[in-house]
Amino acid sequence: MSYFFQLVVSGTVVGSIYALAALGLVLIYKSSRVASFAHGQLIAAGAFLTFFMTITVGMPIYIALAASMIISFFLAMSIERIFLRRLIGEPIITVIMVTIGLASILDGLIYMTPFGTENFSFPSFLPLDPISLGGGVSISWIQLVGFLFTMGLIAGFSWFFKKSTVGISMRAVSDDQFASMSVGISVPRVFGLAWATAGLTAAAAGCIIGNIMGLNFDSLKAFGITVFPVIILGGLDSILGAVVAGIITGLIQQFATGYLDGNFGLNGTQDVMPYVILLVILLFKPHGLFGTHEIERV
Amino acid sequence: MSANSWLATGNFHTGYKQEQKTFASSLDRSIFILFLLILFVWPVLFPISSKYMLVVDNILVAIVAVIGLNLLLGFGGLISVGHAAFMGIGAYTVASFCRTLGDSHVIVTHCWPLLIILSGFTGAVFGAIVGLPAMRLKHLYLAIATLSFQIIFEWVINFMDFFNQGQTIYVGRVYWLTGKIGRSDHYVFWYYAILTIVVLLGIGVRNILKTRYGRSLVAVRDNDRAADAMGMNPGLTKVYAFALAGFFAGVAGALHAYLYRGVGFESFTLHYSVEYLAMAIVGGLGTLNGSFWGPAALKFLDIQVEHLAENIDHFMTGASNLATAFKPLSFGLVIVLFLMFEPRGIANWWRIAKSYTKLWPFRY
Repeated sequence: MSYFFQLVVSGTVVGSIYALAALGLVLIYKSSRVASFAHGQLIAAGAFLTFFMTITVGMPIYIALAASMIISFFLAMSIERIFLRRLIGEPIITVIMVTIGLASILDGLIYMTPFGTENFSFPSFLPLDPISLGGGVSISWIQLVGFLFTMGLIAGFSWFFKKSTVGISMRAVSDDQFASMSVGISVPRVFGLAWATAGLTAAAAGCIIGNIMGLNFDSLKAFGITVFPVIILGGLDSILGAVVAGIITGLIQQFATGYLDGNFGLNGTQDVMPYVILLVILLFKPHGLFGTHEIERV
Repeated sequence: MSANSWLATGNFHTGYKQEQKTFASSLDRSIFILFLLILFVWPVLFPISSKYMLVVDNILVAIVAVIGLNLLLGFGGLISVGHAAFMGIGAYTVASFCRTLGDSHVIVTHCWPLLIILSGFTGAVFGAIVGLPAMRLKHLYLAIATLSFQIIFEWVINFMDFFNQGQTIYVGRVYWLTGKIGRSDHYVFWYYAILTIVVLLGIGVRNILKTRYGRSLVAVRDNDRAADAMGMNPGLTKVYAFALAGFFAGVAGALHAYLYRGVGFESFTLHYSVEYLAMAIVGGLGTLNGSFWGPAALKFLDIQVEHLAENIDHFMTGASNLATAFKPLSFGLVIVLFLMFEPRGIANWWRIAKSYTKLWPFRY
């Protein structure tokens, strides 16, 4: 039984990171109906920036994390300004392909640095011995701090959307662009802000992933693809959905690794199970768990 | 059958038969036949080394795949991020024959045209199965559903012993009327084989688009609810579009298997799915000739970038990963620039050039 709870603990930790990464994509989708395939690259860029600033520049890791979040904020904002602003109103395949192209460009830029091909790991800044939660279940310090930090960020963003003026204007834009324009909200600015927030959360997620699992460009990039089942499962435009689906995905992956791998001659099931579950859920709930049903008119 | 010289200035058709003609004038037809002749004759007149012949063959295989994707995406409006997986289905159909019968069994080496068609139908069956969610899903949800198929395909191939866990499965040399196709003739032989298939499939698509199936495809793309109200069956049309795309991809996959004389999982990854999408878009969505320009342009770009990276490597030692960096960089730039400045693709340049020469010396 302790094995089960151990899996639940590590699944929740991984799932909370998925939730954080998915939060950014949901924000972008909510405000501008764009799904970004370049999110994995933003996650990787955030992680590498933090690493660069801790090791090469020599900042303390908390300040480095804050700095990389700020840089990613402006990076994502400028991506929106340069590439996506002029594609407002284009068909969805155009926008998807532009983000795929952006992902490719960022790939190329990262491959030019040593980070593209080599492996790095963050210096450990927390105690290494795990904390026992009783009953043989334990959690490492870095997982605990990552989890708490993620939950704090998600809670902060939830408050931000419910209460702050900018958050309310973002929700207004996602509801009705024309109506929000008529009450004086700058819609392009909200799009930019949504991207910027997505960049910020991506950097935070990247830094936590890098701390827990080490820095490898391919595995960080893969997060940008795995986050898609999460947001589709949660229903694309629901922040609560992103959090719930993120944790569900994390649990599914951990259970797949823990119970399926090596049992029926299977291995690597954690990469494929989220997609299988996703397909099954899409068959019954085509708009995910918490997504809004779009009403189409001819 | 007389050429209608007024067509340049507008639509002067007087019957549906006229509108459905493949060639607007006899001049168009002669140009097309001349073009085909050139395509079939040039390898005899100007033989090139097999390294470059392989590139040409590659472009032709990609054209087969992209025609299918263009049908799905350009004419049907359905996004598929799993086209390389459909190709893989075709290739692994050939591979499973090699695994069960041995790679030089008569069926593999002598009956290869049948095997290619069979691969196409396997691809079509899988396409229809993957297309089933398309009856309910749209846009991004559909894209992610096809992405799931791609990931599951990769995992299954990597996992199953029968498919050699993604390692190369060899395919034997084929026989033709003249006997076994040897090493020196291999690429030239496949050039002709694939070219014939491209021409046949191209004519096939051209004709499909003129039938009610092709028209209902376009109608469903433009608005599926309106199409439903007009008495079409959007669900069936979408599944059928996926099956059609699967057929083309399956044929392309089988050709890829025979061309490389082996099937490995690394030719059918997500990266290639994205590349086919890019080819379709750079060529021009919703145009048939775009499916020919796109693969040619992107493969050509690939070679040029490789040359460039090699040249830079000569001057700057220690920059050995420039080639890995330049490829995605140029690929991404091409996609983004095309979508921002020429969303209708190279086919639009072709259209502009055509109307310019037709009207010359007058301006439109």
